[in-house]
Amino acid sequence: MNTIEEQLWNYIDGNCTPAGQDAIARLIEQDEAYSKKYQELLQLNLEFASMELDEPSMAFTYNVMETIRTENARQPLKAAIDKRIIMGIAVFFVFTILALLVYTFANTHSQLSAFDIKVKIPAAIKLPNAANIFTRQAFKWFIMFDVVLALFLSDSYLRRKKPTKHA
Amino acid sequence: MQSKLSDIDLIEQILAGNQQAYADLVKRHQRFVFTLALRFSKNREDAEEIAQDCFIKAYRALASYGGQSKFSTWLYTIVYNTAMTFLRKKRVATDSIDDEATFIQVENNESAYDAHNVENKSRSFYLNRAIAQLLPDDATIITLFYKGEQSLEEIAQTLGMEANTVKVKLFRARQRLKDKLERNLKHEVKELI
Repeated sequence: MNTIEEQLWNYIDGNCTPAGQDAIARLIEQDEAYSKKYQELLQLNLEFASMELDEPSMAFTYNVMETIRTENARQPLKAAIDKRIIMGIAVFFVFTILALLVYTFANTHSQLSAFDIKVKIPAAIKLPNAANIFTRQAFKWFIMFDVVLALFLSDSYLRRKKPTKHA
Repeated sequence: MQSKLSDIDLIEQILAGNQQAYADLVKRHQRFVFTLALRFSKNREDAEEIAQDCFIKAYRALASYGGQSKFSTWLYTIVYNTAMTFLRKKRVATDSIDDEATFIQVENNESAYDAHNVENKSRSFYLNRAIAQLLPDDATIITLFYKGEQSLEEIAQTLGMEANTVKVKLFRARQRLKDKLERNLKHEVKELI
């Protein structure tokens, strides 16, 4: 059973059921003890509601905004740069390199034998025979090396990415 | 006019990149946040630090505010948690001033609350002093209820309690506040006499 005070606080706060509200209103009217306590609590309620809020220092808002601005400025470049731009640049270079490779590979057969470009070079200088160096076999080794290097680099990249995802 | 914008409107502007809108939001809530922080820390420097910390945390987490509850309720939850962490860190004594030797107990505890006896000091002075003597939880509930425009359900959400628990705590907090107020006033009257 609630105490008189508890019932009256509920009545003041409007937390009673409509029936309870009516019952307490009647008690306040008829019972002097209830009426006296009600007046006292009502006075207290007004007093509590008149409580004043404290004011922070004048520079409070400025300090908060400065801290936020400083934090934003301190954000590392890595986090500030849009990752889509980086991806775009990477995709551009990958496609360019791939296109160059494909074009070179497609034209190798016909051009390997066509290293007989007529250039006027003094007789004293002897150039090595390019056709001997850039043989089809050497080119295949070069591509092979590139593929292995690409696999190695992508493997190390994915290994690095995995733990950061788990973290 | 900027000041007439609702909290939600301001938040939308902030999320769209208008940082100045956050300054308006801070100005709107700073007094209440500072007062709540003061209920825990009991000194202005720490309260300002807590309040500042709360607004910075709120800014960082603003994108996660879904709008399910009032912004103030969401903000006060941050204040409550930050202040509790602060108390734990600083190990501030949260015991009521009841136990302190400096507080003079008045023997007669029965007479009714009568502020008219003391006329030379404002009522708000006594009220603020009595609130400062309450436990942080009691002072917070009283402040949220009377000044935070928060319903019992919203206070419950802020403090992570059941609404019924808050109702009981509010009742007890009011009783304690009333006792403190009476004691302080009686002490003052005794001194005057």
